[in-house]
Amino acid sequence: MSFSRRSILQGLGGALALPRLESVARGSEVRARERRSDTVAAPLRFLVVGNPLGMHPPNFFPRDFGTDYTMSRTLQPLEWVRDRFTVLSHTDHGMKSGHGREIAFLSGVLPETSHAFAEKNMSIDQLIARHIGDDVRFPSIHAALQTGIRMVWNANGVELKPFTNPEKMFEHLFLNLSEQAKREQVQTLERNSSILDAVGEQFADVKSRASVADRERLDQFGTSIRELEQRIQTRHDWVGRDKPEYDISHHLQGEATIIRRYNAIFDMVAYAFQTDLTRVATIAFPNELGYTDVNGVTRGYHACTHNGKDEQVVSELVAIESFQIEQLSRFMKQLDEIDEPNADGSLLDHTVILFGSGMGYGGTHSNRNLPILVAGGGFNHLGHVDTRSPAGNNMPLCNLFVTLMQRFGIERDRFNLSTGSFDLEYA
Amino acid sequence: MTDSTLAPGVSILNMRNYSVGRSRVSIAILLACVGLLGSVDANDHAILQRYCMECHSGSDPEGGFHLKMLGDSVNEESREYWQASLEYVSLGDMPPNDDSSVTPSERERIARYLRRVIIAAGEKKAAVSSVPTRRLNNREFANSISDALGIEDPGTHFPLGDLLGDTLHEGFDTNGDALGISEYHLEKYIAAVRNVVDAVIWTGEKPESERYEVPSEMLKMTSLSQQTRRRESAVRHPDSVDFRDMRVRMYFDNFDSVPETGYYNIQIRATGIDRGYYDAEMTGVHDGDPIRLAVHLGDRERVFDLPDDDMKEIELTEWLAKGTRIELSYPTDGLRKRGNGNFKFQQAIAHDHIKQHDPELYEEVVAQIRKKGGRRKLGVNHWSHWVDYWRGPRPRVYGAVVEGPFYNSWPPQRQVNLIGASPDVQDAEKVLKRIAERAWKREVRDGELDPFVRLVEQRKAELGNIEALKEGIVAIFVSPSFLLIDPEEGTPADRFATKLSYFFRSTLPEVVLRQQVAAGELNDFESVRDAVELYIRDAKADEFLDEFPHAWLQLDRINFMAPDPDHYPHYHRKSVSDDMVAEAKAFFRYAVENNLPVPEMLTSDYSFINADLAKVYGIDDVPDDSTLRRYQFTDGRRGGLLGMGAFLTLTADTLGTSPIHRAVYVLENYMGIKPSPPPGDVEIQEPDVRQAKTIKDILAAHIAEDTCASCHRSIDPYGYAFENFDPVGAWRDNYVQLTVDTPSQAAKKTKKRKQARFELPIDASSTFRNGNSYHDIAEFRTLMQSDANQIQFVRCFVKKLLMYANGTEPDDIAEIERILAKSAEHDFRVVDTIAAVVDSPLFRQQ
Repeated sequence: MSFSRRSILQGLGGALALPRLESVARGSEVRARERRSDTVAAPLRFLVVGNPLGMHPPNFFPRDFGTDYTMSRTLQPLEWVRDRFTVLSHTDHGMKSGHGREIAFLSGVLPETSHAFAEKNMSIDQLIARHIGDDVRFPSIHAALQTGIRMVWNANGVELKPFTNPEKMFEHLFLNLSEQAKREQVQTLERNSSILDAVGEQFADVKSRASVADRERLDQFGTSIRELEQRIQTRHDWVGRDKPEYDISHHLQGEATIIRRYNAIFDMVAYAFQTDLTRVATIAFPNELGYTDVNGVTRGYHACTHNGKDEQVVSELVAIESFQIEQLSRFMKQLDEIDEPNADGSLLDHTVILFGSGMGYGGTHSNRNLPILVAGGGFNHLGHVDTRSPAGNNMPLCNLFVTLMQRFGIERDRFNLSTGSFDLEYA
Repeated sequence: MTDSTLAPGVSILNMRNYSVGRSRVSIAILLACVGLLGSVDANDHAILQRYCMECHSGSDPEGGFHLKMLGDSVNEESREYWQASLEYVSLGDMPPNDDSSVTPSERERIARYLRRVIIAAGEKKAAVSSVPTRRLNNREFANSISDALGIEDPGTHFPLGDLLGDTLHEGFDTNGDALGISEYHLEKYIAAVRNVVDAVIWTGEKPESERYEVPSEMLKMTSLSQQTRRRESAVRHPDSVDFRDMRVRMYFDNFDSVPETGYYNIQIRATGIDRGYYDAEMTGVHDGDPIRLAVHLGDRERVFDLPDDDMKEIELTEWLAKGTRIELSYPTDGLRKRGNGNFKFQQAIAHDHIKQHDPELYEEVVAQIRKKGGRRKLGVNHWSHWVDYWRGPRPRVYGAVVEGPFYNSWPPQRQVNLIGASPDVQDAEKVLKRIAERAWKREVRDGELDPFVRLVEQRKAELGNIEALKEGIVAIFVSPSFLLIDPEEGTPADRFATKLSYFFRSTLPEVVLRQQVAAGELNDFESVRDAVELYIRDAKADEFLDEFPHAWLQLDRINFMAPDPDHYPHYHRKSVSDDMVAEAKAFFRYAVENNLPVPEMLTSDYSFINADLAKVYGIDDVPDDSTLRRYQFTDGRRGGLLGMGAFLTLTADTLGTSPIHRAVYVLENYMGIKPSPPPGDVEIQEPDVRQAKTIKDILAAHIAEDTCASCHRSIDPYGYAFENFDPVGAWRDNYVQLTVDTPSQAAKKTKKRKQARFELPIDASSTFRNGNSYHDIAEFRTLMQSDANQIQFVRCFVKKLLMYANGTEPDDIAEIERILAKSAEHDFRVVDTIAAVVDSPLFRQQ
């Protein structure tokens, strides 16, 4: 007998109210049956963690290459998992110097030049979400505190804003509505859907009267109507089914430090991955956020990058950057403690993690030599790699993105500025 | 050659020169250029070959610019190169003085030639290409939906709180590319429109009005933390409550939130206490500022000045949406130690004051502390013991009365205005048409509303008449005809009316304006000019006067990298960035309201300052309050846009300043020239505050490299002049080495700072490529008053106006020159220049 994907997830949702280990056991049972019916293998997930100011290079990049490299100061928190990530030196998007170009981190393409590219400046996470996101409740999830860093862009070249409030994100991901509220939501969805029908009809008339110059923006509008209709449909399908239960309240008691709030964000993403609520997520560390909750930090993030090489200010910058890596490490540990129900290895081995920035280092405004780290995903990791060509040229970061796309089963060998792919094998 | 282009040139010949500041500005250059439009042989740029070929040719041309990039004539690809060439040559940057022996008059000839080619190309152009439609930004959305529904604002229940934020493009929130639309936007729009409409139209019985007496016991303070056991931040008296911490808000314990939408009458009895009791130096509150009380009605705010020790009866009548909370706060930019309020710091003032001025009381309190401590020895100067003795300036609130909801009639008039007294789905078309014609800024076509009428009819059985009609109304505001500006061809009159209205008022056009434009009443420069003047006189251009300078001067960037809080405490303690932004806006408003010549904005010797700015600028003869007043500077260093603290701060790093950042800012925002950013593969030296080198020394090394030199020699002279201004814009004669303390060191440190380790004299001199040089900011400012620089500034201003209006950079450079000529006819005065922009096809046809 065959199970529809959704009924399996539904069963899983109920089981997840149990303690974690049991729920995993139960989940694997369901999955095992599923495997017997020859449907899906373990899902592969994708997380991007980014910042807009790069990393202080001498503290981020290890001094030597290869798998036996000496761990750098900023990367210390990842020592425990050193065989399961790769640090890439000398990659970039060939951008000129200065702020504002880091928004091309995940595509290599700036909004102003996006017209020259078929996929505009769509970010790699969205490209992957399009490929693997349809089966789950949320195609992708985006989070930051305070404000985003403009790294996620959809196929229309429109920036997707992250959740900046963990409570709102929690409601979105895990809050189950009362039966009454569900009925109301269904009603609102239906009413909104009818409104879109009416607007769509009038839109067609407007579009027929538009000048050539207006076409592109109107297409954007038309796509938005269509995609919202689909979204409403998907939501309609899911609204009756309960979301997995989860609790992050312990992170949000007492003073709302950024440490607690990022813990909450990363935990929610981990649990959303574990329960297959979503398979693609991004988390950002914005410049505008105050990092003074982090030990030793008294200055603004951006101010710390323009440190004039003053040791005290540099140490504050490194503290902020280490905080980001510690968060990443904590997340990876969490994933690694959970066995992948349907396959060998832990959840971490079935989650591709990309950490980095579209800026090299804020202190010099350089957008060359981006700080890039790839972890998990079942890759045979390579330690610290000098990606330069024999001629000494930096590798386009898009080459790595090609590799990542392929890892997700997207059969392509090109992505925007790529000249090839990055050699990273997986088992 | 046509008559129409000759006309401005001819009239310029009759024009008198006008004076700006100390320099006489002639319009000689413009006159020569526009007046002498001859035929241009586009294939022969002999003059350019002669003067420019030497450097701008070959495989590695200077500045990455090869002469052949200009092509035969001005076209889509070569446009920007022509424009850049014209700008560099008219500023005298090119051909440079250092590599050639070009005379100023030869440069003028080259500039004249370039301009001729550009204008001639503009002549041949068949039609002005049109600017694509764009989404309303959130500001425009809020204004437009309010005006279309006939309400004061979208509502007091944060109805638009979930809209996605707008992205700025070079400071502008009107850029169509940055204002994308996605399914997320659309989803939020539907929810926001529902919120707004729900507070205007609803079903149900008329709610009874109630009166809520709020005695002082019912005045409560919000808490900063979630720990509710914390002591209340207020001073409680038998009949009143004082604000003690300006970070918290007061609320009415027996009035949780507005129970039903409607009019409410709110009376609050309050007074100001102890103004000037403590030294203003300590509190940061100026003696000259009245104590104020802010009334927050959801996201609507009303602020009142309180008299000293004299009861004020505040009374307001407001339309409040269901769920709105009423809160009071104490707005002040004082009482902060650093960026935010500091409770301990406040109580320390109480301690210090009593110790100094009231020894008797001091002994009394100390005795109490000792007694309380018993065998434990308590530190008597610990802030917590002095909380009750705080006597800083503060509002005292005695109580309030809230009464409502009231309705002048039932159903409420605003609902009747939209859907009538007894709405019926039968009338859907009529009801929707009235709203749609306002919301869509044009006439509705026959049958266009059919889908909306059908929607209403379908919903009737389920929802009833009123709620069904609301669905149709919501749909009208989700339509592209509302959310996008001019998404279809439409009539030129409607387009122009819409454009004009969004330009000045950031909202949809009034019916009167549409009628005027349709009747041809705004067809020429004179009538447009009169209209612009009216907008300003009738206070209808406030959105423009506020938002345009904000965008143009990129004031949003002011705290992108705020000055270091340890070294520049005043900046943070008094939120000086707010004063700087206010200064820039007050200055712009003054220039417009007095129709000053545009170039005066750049180099005038006055600005608008208050006591907080005076402290930064080193001025001591201004009243001790926060009011911005016109101030004349006598040192030749300050005044106008070149002396604004906002510009000097937003271009500086936290600890140091960068002449390059300032030069790029001056070039981009005052000169309208975009220097290209350094190529990605250049190794940029990181500034090192520990070494005894000036920024000039560091840059000298950088510029010694060939790849960097050709650009930097053009850029840097626009920045060195400002080196005497530190990261907050205060004057300095020397660079002082900045030492940075760890937090623990900073805490231990006594008030006296250690002597700085070294000081280096500042060299703020430089030489432009045309050979002009300056020694300091005063001489630089004089150079900026040259004809060429002033005209370039007006050109930049015109381009920025067009960017604000069109949401995109103007691409018809010939037309810009025509606007400039028109502006010159009117002494380059601001209002006339704005009118010339509005009257231009670049504004009208796009």
